[in-house]
Amino acid sequence: MGSLFRSESMCLAQLFLQAGTAYECLSALGERGLVQFRDLNQSVSSFQRKFVGEMKRCEELERILAYLVQEINKADIPLPEGETSPPAPPLKQVLEMQEQLQKLEVELREVTKNKEKLRKNLLELIEYTHMLRVTKTFVKRNVEFEPAYEEFSSLETESLIDYSCMQRLGAKLGFVSGLINQGKVEAFEKMLWRVCKGYTIVTYAELDEPLEDPETGEVIKWYVFLISFWGEQIGYKVKKICDCYHCHIYPYPNTAEERKEIQEGLNTRIQDLYTVLHKTEDYLRQVLCNAAETVYSRVIQVKKMKAIYHMLNMCSFDVTNKCLIAEVWCPEADLQELRRALEDGSRESGATIPSFMNTIPTKETPPTLIRTNKFTEGFQNIVDAYGVGSYREVNPALFTIITFPFLFAVMFGDFGHGFVMFLFALLLVLNENHPRLKQSQEILRMFFDGRYILLLMGLFSVYTGLIYNDCFSKSVNIFGSGWNVSAMYSSSHAAKEPKKLILWNNSVVRHNRVLQLDPSVPGVFQGPYPFGIDPIWNLATNRLTFLNSFKMKMSVILGIIHMTFGVTLGICNHLHFRKKFNIYLVSIPELLFMLCIFGYLIFMIIYKWLVYSAETSRVAPSILIEFINMFLFPASETVGLYPGQAPVQRLLLAITALSVPVLVLGKPLFLLWLHNGRGCFGVSRSGYTLVRKDSEEEVSLLGSQDIEEGSNHMEDRCREVTNEEFNFGEILMTQVIHSIEYCLGCISNTASYLRLWALSLAHAQLSDVLWAMLMRVGLRVDTTYGVLLLLPVMAFFAILTIFILLVMEGLSAFLHAIRLHWVEFQNKFYTGAGTKFVPFSFNLLSSKFNNDD
Amino acid sequence: MPDCAELYFNVDHGYLEGLVRGCKASLLTQQDYLNLVQCENLEDLKIHLQTTDYGNFLADQTGPLTVSIIDTKMKKKLCREFEYFRNHSLEPLSTFFTYMTCSYMIDNVILLMNGALQKKPVKDILVKCHPLGSFMEMEAVNIAETASDLFNAILVETPLAPFFQDCMSENTLDELNIELLRNKLYKSYLEAFYTFCKNHGDVTAEIMCPILEFEADRRAFIITLNSFGTELTKDDRESLYPTCGKLYPEGLRLLAQVEDFEQMKRVADHYEVYKPLLDAVGDNNGGKTLEDVFFEHEVKMNVLAFNRQFHYGVFYAYIKLREQEMRNIVWIAECISQRHRTKINSYIPIL
Repeated sequence: MGSLFRSESMCLAQLFLQAGTAYECLSALGERGLVQFRDLNQSVSSFQRKFVGEMKRCEELERILAYLVQEINKADIPLPEGETSPPAPPLKQVLEMQEQLQKLEVELREVTKNKEKLRKNLLELIEYTHMLRVTKTFVKRNVEFEPAYEEFSSLETESLIDYSCMQRLGAKLGFVSGLINQGKVEAFEKMLWRVCKGYTIVTYAELDEPLEDPETGEVIKWYVFLISFWGEQIGYKVKKICDCYHCHIYPYPNTAEERKEIQEGLNTRIQDLYTVLHKTEDYLRQVLCNAAETVYSRVIQVKKMKAIYHMLNMCSFDVTNKCLIAEVWCPEADLQELRRALEDGSRESGATIPSFMNTIPTKETPPTLIRTNKFTEGFQNIVDAYGVGSYREVNPALFTIITFPFLFAVMFGDFGHGFVMFLFALLLVLNENHPRLKQSQEILRMFFDGRYILLLMGLFSVYTGLIYNDCFSKSVNIFGSGWNVSAMYSSSHAAKEPKKLILWNNSVVRHNRVLQLDPSVPGVFQGPYPFGIDPIWNLATNRLTFLNSFKMKMSVILGIIHMTFGVTLGICNHLHFRKKFNIYLVSIPELLFMLCIFGYLIFMIIYKWLVYSAETSRVAPSILIEFINMFLFPASETVGLYPGQAPVQRLLLAITALSVPVLVLGKPLFLLWLHNGRGCFGVSRSGYTLVRKDSEEEVSLLGSQDIEEGSNHMEDRCREVTNEEFNFGEILMTQVIHSIEYCLGCISNTASYLRLWALSLAHAQLSDVLWAMLMRVGLRVDTTYGVLLLLPVMAFFAILTIFILLVMEGLSAFLHAIRLHWVEFQNKFYTGAGTKFVPFSFNLLSSKFNNDD
Repeated sequence: MPDCAELYFNVDHGYLEGLVRGCKASLLTQQDYLNLVQCENLEDLKIHLQTTDYGNFLADQTGPLTVSIIDTKMKKKLCREFEYFRNHSLEPLSTFFTYMTCSYMIDNVILLMNGALQKKPVKDILVKCHPLGSFMEMEAVNIAETASDLFNAILVETPLAPFFQDCMSENTLDELNIELLRNKLYKSYLEAFYTFCKNHGDVTAEIMCPILEFEADRRAFIITLNSFGTELTKDDRESLYPTCGKLYPEGLRLLAQVEDFEQMKRVADHYEVYKPLLDAVGDNNGGKTLEDVFFEHEVKMNVLAFNRQFHYGVFYAYIKLREQEMRNIVWIAECISQRHRTKINSYIPIL
């Protein structure tokens, strides 16, 4: 059988990695992604493991690389992303790489620091020039238009005109000038006033252009201020306050000449700084460009290296400390490949003693690996969402590939809608290599991942739509209807026809709103429509009644077939796990229970379809009544579907009744009997974990389990499995619960399949309503305006069709189909208690720069 | 409508409460502490902290790791969280947050003034200030020479201003006066915070009042303990006790007269809450210190605050728990870096 039917058989292998070659071997394994490592050091915390030093080195490298990437991004240099992923670096190169990177980092930091320093210097100088420019106007203004400071103005102006004269007076007039952040101006002024009790004069003006803050690099608005004060004490305080508000203070020139001098000096320095800064930036860019070329592959390499050490941390050392022992789960089919990988790794490192492996027997449950391709992946995901299959049990995904789209389509049966969905999925499938689709997010991603499911869903919907003969709620007449209306007229029949037929004439047609075709009139019904439902039903007023009866019966039939199939798959499971008694004591009673009640129901439905014709339809008994009577044994004999019905039904009922106690008690009693020493069937009693042993071996194992694998750490767990206490009460309880669940489940699950009918009805009705409310209204308007009106109506119709009928209805049908699979189908056989096989593979590492973990 | 506050609490504060509860879940667990204690050096500690909610907070640290770096980084992280809460808060929760920062502001002001007394440069001391309590006018604190100066010039516009009512004096600020100032500020701060919570009513009052009462009483005990053998008069001592605790008024009056630890213990015997706490204090050789006992009780109260919903106490409790956690980590880190392993286990686990 294909690998999709059951998960691959796994084996536990021990890898003996020579200390010198372990790294290369793991690198080779990681490229291939063959094995899943088991953590042998679970009790050791992360920083006490063997390779913690190497991990730290990797982290250091990662830190440097992150810094590089950050700088490169800051400089707006494009980062080339390589197509191929480079292999993990050989150990010899690691040191070299580390050195290179560290050198690069030091250099980069140096250059950036210099650059920052230069930039800061430049910014400060620019600020200074601005300040000088603005304060010049202060002085003028102070002289001319400052009436508010009248009491000081004379001093002020004087001082500004002739500072030396003030000095002669002995009073120290000081100036502090600088720039302050816009937001702090008010608080700054208030505090100045409070602290200096008004012995200061503050003038400030907003700087017209925002400047960068030399410290934070933010571009903000600044105010230039000039504080004039008296006395040294106050000056001291003023400076303190300026510090407190992080003002940028620059020396204030006392005379006009000085000011001019400074300004000129500043200008030349700014020019110089600009050139130096440009040179530095060019150099920095060059360095970064060089770094950018290799940074991608370096990031990948370091990631791989880290992953390797992470895995090595899971290995244990052997006694001599010369080789590492790793325990891995490996698919049996890949063992050869695994050996080759180890050889490659050993060869690469040039070690004298090759690393080798051997498989070890285990009683633990291996992880589940089901290989999928892009087509089966989506279906496997549906199953895995319910639960990852237990090791080697039947994988429902194989059947889901067909049954899922089919059940969906039964609910979504519309030729047109299905075709639109098919086209959409086809578009996705044809463009699946498109990079935009591959990197798409969220909802589109969801559609993209399920594109093959959608494709099949669309195809099957086309099929069921043809069966239902529904295309946007209208029927298509391809083969010509099998019904003939004109045959109902009395004029078309010869007089010799039997009179009991109710035929139409002109007055009948004129006076009745609703008329019924009678298939028993010859010529009216010319045989069934070749494929699907006859299009004439689209015109009939009793269309719903007809379709309801048909769809209801259909969904019951489909449901019971689906469930019976599930129970049969259970038999497959029991056969594979060598638990034959389960077949006789569980599966067969289950099957009998199901078939004797519901199988018989199907039989009755089909029998009635086949046997009763239009003429005899009036005497046909109701299936519902017959079915109920099967359980009630009515006193009066009814007509029945066929002769001898009563004894057959009694027999079936007896079988049903008998299968229940077998189902309830059979397995527990059998296990009890086995336990009491008569295990002659050679069946294992401890479940799935022992399947790979032969039965005799098992028996001996059960007796002598203690001899096995003395030093192995997993001994405890093994013993737990084998030493499982035989608890009759518990087994009985489980089985009773299972039986009750199954018997009740048969009834409720069958009813549950009626959702097929309900949803397909809802879908048909909704599309019918949409047609009636929109298109019919649009088409009825007379020709002059009709054309104009029809365009928006069509657009509206299309939009509603897509969003309500395709997306919304599709989603609901999808959910119901999922439910039918998870609950009604899979609970008949599927345990879903496994763990997924997660191989150590470099492909699973993300190759993105901005991924932190 | 005081009784339906639950109905519209979430309109304004639901987001933040959800957030803070999420943050609380990321506190270190007992298992984490056990792992931390096993660390050999600070690098190990860093590796282990990386696996917790602290994440890569030390990743861009190039030089050798020291305890103070860890401490600063942790504080920064806490501060970031707090700033986020604060920036997204609405009244009256934002006032509540302001009250929370006040205690750190008081500490910072006192620290700066002490630094100014010892003529240390402001920059050095600023590093030591708690980031939660930093404010713009902080750096100008050392201009002031008297308490009223301090108030009038510097702090009049900060949230600390109302607490200055009782401590306006023209005394120059020497070391003792600064300490007195701190305690007075704290007293009025606690009382104001207490009144705020009480007036707010609802669950907030039910949760916050006991916590603040405990805080007040703890201060009273500590003040008493610290004043043994100093020149502080008993009247002065009594004037420093916050009056919003359970000890008020009789207990405080008794405490003011206490002269040694045994007498203090006798005072505490009258209160069922404090009796077991002071009984748990061991003598010098082994046993817990009074501080630790109080911390443990505080942790218990803060953890219990999370049992109720629709109140502001969770924010207070969360910040306090984080602080305790940081103290624990710093303690463990200190023990590791000083190779002083015997006492490493005396951190205070957060339940």
